[in-house]
Amino acid sequence: MPKLYYWPATCSITVRVILEETGLSYEDEAVDLGAKKQQSPEFLKVNPKAKVPAYLRDDGSLITEVPAIALWLALTNPDANLLASDYETRVRTLEIFDYIAGTIHMQGAARAWRPGSFSETEAAHDAIRARGKDIVMRGLDILSQTLGDKDWLTGSYSIADASLFFIEYWAREKVGYQMPANIEAHYHRMLGRPAVQRALAREGLVVPAF
Amino acid sequence: MPTLCHAAGTCSMGIHVILEEIGKPYEIRKMDFANQAQYKPDFMAINPKSKVPTLIRDDGSVLTEWPAIAMFLALSNPDKKLVPTDIEGMVRAQEAMAYCTATLHMQGWTRIWRTVTYTEIESEHPKIKARGKEIIDKGIAIFDKQLTGKDWLLGDFSIADCALYFLEVWFVERGNLALPANIAAHYERMKQRPSVQASRKYDGFA
Ligand SMILES: N[C@@H](CCC(=O)N[C@@H](CS)C(=O)NCC(=O)O)C(=O)O
Ligand SMILES: N[C@@H](CCC(=O)N[C@@H](CS)C(=O)NCC(=O)O)C(=O)O
Repeated sequence: MPKLYYWPATCSITVRVILEETGLSYEDEAVDLGAKKQQSPEFLKVNPKAKVPAYLRDDGSLITEVPAIALWLALTNPDANLLASDYETRVRTLEIFDYIAGTIHMQGAARAWRPGSFSETEAAHDAIRARGKDIVMRGLDILSQTLGDKDWLTGSYSIADASLFFIEYWAREKVGYQMPANIEAHYHRMLGRPAVQRALAREGLVVPAF
Repeated sequence: MPTLCHAAGTCSMGIHVILEEIGKPYEIRKMDFANQAQYKPDFMAINPKSKVPTLIRDDGSVLTEWPAIAMFLALSNPDKKLVPTDIEGMVRAQEAMAYCTATLHMQGWTRIWRTVTYTEIESEHPKIKARGKEIIDKGIAIFDKQLTGKDWLLGDFSIADCALYFLEVWFVERGNLALPANIAAHYERMKQRPSVQASRKYDGFA
């Protein structure tokens, strides 16, 4: 059985949602980021990058990086219809993934959530947090334009929506940002999906009212 | 003809190399970062993210984000074999590109080069840069291991090598940093490719 290394409500939840959409059986193992377990010798043996998500396949090989694991799950579970097969949609999906991972998450949320990982000086934290929020909000504005009046980012439901869900959950439930209206509606649509509800439950999280 | 919005010495170098590998006509729109050209209204109308690489395609549509542009160019020029066609190869290409862009670039190098965007308190800057250095060192060591006994990251030459390439240029030409052995050999191999030579000449790294 494949195994997902995760920590609740972090970017690994994108992979969790996709796994739940595919209906695959899988095991999971929590890597306590609060206790720095990602740096433990046992976990470094699994993933020397010291990050979650990490996805261990049945043959013992590991895939890292959210977009790579997502692509693997979508391509090997074609019946789940999680990625259109034309290359234009595939490319647009990657564009969304990279923007969420590289900019909104790494540049924005990382600053807003953990200013201490950029500076140990408390006096610097408010400005770091503010800049992080700025980057997240600008990013959500750009994705709001991508979404427009569609239900899902690339037309039909796809792995890109699971990627956005991670940011939405964090922005809404962890830091209480006000999101653009169509993104908020997308978040509610996500919360209505049984796979998303199962994903939250398996991470011990309460499904927010929607 | 597609147009690549490019600034010399930035990550868009890797896309320039891919366009050269393909060998079809393209144009370059040179972005003057010293004059903040990426924040001028004419460019923001094209790409509100204010980033390069930005690719304007033949039909006028705009594509952003390094891995997406690379994948588009590879998939639309299948005869050039710039990305594996099997699922495993495709996934490994994505994994390598994501690590280059989201971690080494966005977590590592941005701390080193754009330190002031983290805090204006200058006394904090050395520590932020040191953390950036830690991230790029760790990342490049992971790629070094992946290259053991191989010429190219995925076996055959691919877009993943072009992502690693722009980081190599940053280490060597812009950061004056040494590369681990397998990466150094990979960089030399890249420099022998005519596509890379054309990009270096264009950007003044010849
Ligand atoms: N670019 C990576 C990012 C992975 C990442 O940053 N994971 C976070 C959780 S959201 C983590 O493991 N952080 C622990 C740490 O950085 O020490 C991906 O797409 O998988
Ligand atoms: N995640 C983006 C990053 C692009 C990026 O950060 N580009 C830099 C050059 S290496 C840039 O355009 N910086 C201009 C700015 O931030 O003002 C990608 O992969 O394309």
